[in-house]
Amino acid sequence: MYDATWSGDGEEHSQAFVVRKDPPASLLETDREAEYGFYSAFWNSGVPVPRMRWLEPDASIIGGPFFIMDRILGCESNTRAPQAPPYLAVQPEMARNMYDILGIIANFEWRGTAIERVAEPPAAETAWEKELAHWEGIINVQELSPQPLMRAAIRWLRANPPPPAQRVGVVHGDYRVGNFLYREDGSIHGIVDWEMAHLGDPVEDLAWSLNESWQWAKDGRPGGIVDRETAITLWERASGLRADPAAVLWWEVFSHVKCQGIWITGARSFQEGRTNELILPMVAYSLINAQDQALLRTLGRIA
Amino acid sequence: MRPDTSRTLQGIAINLLTNVIAEVKTPFGQQTVGIAASLAMWIAEETERGADRLVVENGVTREILADGLALAGTARAAVEAAAATPAAPNFRISSLQSENDSLRRGLIALHAAVESNPSADAQSMNERIWAELIESTRRRQFQARIG
Repeated sequence: MYDATWSGDGEEHSQAFVVRKDPPASLLETDREAEYGFYSAFWNSGVPVPRMRWLEPDASIIGGPFFIMDRILGCESNTRAPQAPPYLAVQPEMARNMYDILGIIANFEWRGTAIERVAEPPAAETAWEKELAHWEGIINVQELSPQPLMRAAIRWLRANPPPPAQRVGVVHGDYRVGNFLYREDGSIHGIVDWEMAHLGDPVEDLAWSLNESWQWAKDGRPGGIVDRETAITLWERASGLRADPAAVLWWEVFSHVKCQGIWITGARSFQEGRTNELILPMVAYSLINAQDQALLRTLGRIA
Repeated sequence: MRPDTSRTLQGIAINLLTNVIAEVKTPFGQQTVGIAASLAMWIAEETERGADRLVVENGVTREILADGLALAGTARAAVEAAAATPAAPNFRISSLQSENDSLRRGLIALHAAVESNPSADAQSMNERIWAELIESTRRRQFQARIG
């Protein structure tokens, strides 16, 4: 983050910016150009996003591809803050806003926008297959040790495909409390972290938001701000789509596989010495086994 | 080594959280110290239990592979190879983990084979494997709760 001041057109300008750069190693290895495309497509839409300014794919300039965007000021993004005043009282408003915006994302007309250049649309019938193959491939490459539970989940996912997507829409890919900027009245002013955005089945985002890993209050409520049934109702109302229980279950099981793909990618980065960021072994130690247990709960194998 | 490694790591974590963190000026630095303390607490547990956890799990997995071999069908070669994994030559965690990785690769192959086999024996083995996988997550669960 930085603040810039400059002169131009006979005036002094100042602006707060954020630089997003590929780190040497992280939980994910993603494409800055695609992320920039998704952000750009939503600028001035009903989905609040920071304004994109510049994209630089040349890795030689600051050590990796990067882009620069405006910084949205006066907001909170902490995952735990909604559990305490002043945000505690506005959890219902925050949840409604969260799923209203997700409904807009699900229905966003991406054709003719920057998204068309950076994302390949899958067929409605095979959107699940594309995502599953992608994340299975990541686990194949990144796992340090065999993952028998995730392999069982992957076999279950292949044997029990979900119904076709009701529409092929934008999937944020990491839509949860923690990836939006909010204020004390529960209003949301920025949806961020589009690095896993793609085109696919919008139910994927709903199911991801329900994942146990983001139940910050540890009370079974998605994001720690709303109960599961209300979240699903809000999403159905906002998106105009049906949250078919079979589809939600399929994408919830998938969300565990995807989470594990992310956690073990970070574990490998640290193991191989590409980074000494302590957050990576912390995530591995705290979340890899927890994700296995969450999967067992979703499959009804443990209470 | 005495005091025990696990106790020493616990002491390091407590020092980080009580003495060091207050002296660190930046939020990022404080967060890093907090993470280091959390890791020290977990490593203290794992140092104490790690070898035992792996020895127990390797034994259980070997028994499952031996009992399931006849049900492995087309995965027989993979299961047989895993079951033939030599025992770790010592009690170093890295040796036991390497043995564990090999055995669990075989467990995955056996699990895939029996879950698609409708026979009663195969389904019984399928449930036995699920029970072991559930138990394996309990073995890995840390008692120290952080955050």
